[in-house]
Amino acid sequence: MKVKVISVPVMDQEKALQFYTQKLGFIKKIDVPLSEHSRWLTVVSKEEQDGPQILLEPAPQHFEPAKVYQKALFEAGIPYTQFNVDNAAQEYERLVNLGVEFSITPTEMGTVKIAVFNDTCGNNIQLVEML
Amino acid sequence: MTFYLSEVTRIRSTCYGNQAQLETVMVTRRYINHNFDKKLNLKLLSHIHFTSKFHLLRLFKRYYGQTPQQYLTDKRIEKAKELLSKGTPVNETCFEIGFESPCSFSTLFKSRTGISPAGFQKRATFAMPV
Repeated sequence: MKVKVISVPVMDQEKALQFYTQKLGFIKKIDVPLSEHSRWLTVVSKEEQDGPQILLEPAPQHFEPAKVYQKALFEAGIPYTQFNVDNAAQEYERLVNLGVEFSITPTEMGTVKIAVFNDTCGNNIQLVEML
Repeated sequence: MTFYLSEVTRIRSTCYGNQAQLETVMVTRRYINHNFDKKLNLKLLSHIHFTSKFHLLRLFKRYYGQTPQQYLTDKRIEKAKELLSKGTPVNETCFEIGFESPCSFSTLFKSRTGISPAGFQKRATFAMPV
């Protein structure tokens, strides 16, 4: 059994695709229409294009409990998931210059440095640098 | 303050309050990152920050969830994948990452990735990066 796909719930798939590709730098991998309003849409890291795919999952649009759960996590400041970076401070500067909003600026936490931003699609996302 | 930020603050003070211990393990990890191609063992690593090897082993496992040897192996496999993807021959990759035996390297690589180094290289060659 292999881990090939992880889901991130998003309020708007097209908006999420723009954010995850143009701001975060991911690359679109799979884009297959499923219905009038949804697609099987995944992105991958540019540095690891054969690595795990992120499924931009539109559950909050169609399934109320998913929307409730996503909103609760967001309001508590809890990141939905995290991505590893080589340098959290540099990545923070790059993203701030692109207009991304952070709720937690680069902060050391023991053996890691973390930062948390708003993906504009209903989630907080954490960046993590190993120290 | 959000719930998450209060948790980060709490965890930072309860789990990561000992800066000296953190410094010991972080220095060790950085040393492994820069010297993974050399012959490393717990005794050598413990000398870097003047600690006993048992103490280092305990601390490293506590803060990183892995022993230094496990971390070193992860690092070597990660580097091996990079080299193989660039077209470096399997034998050369083996020696560049600090292995002495191509046979043991291949066995370990396959057990960790599910594919032989040659198979990995072939697959990487045919993948089309954007």
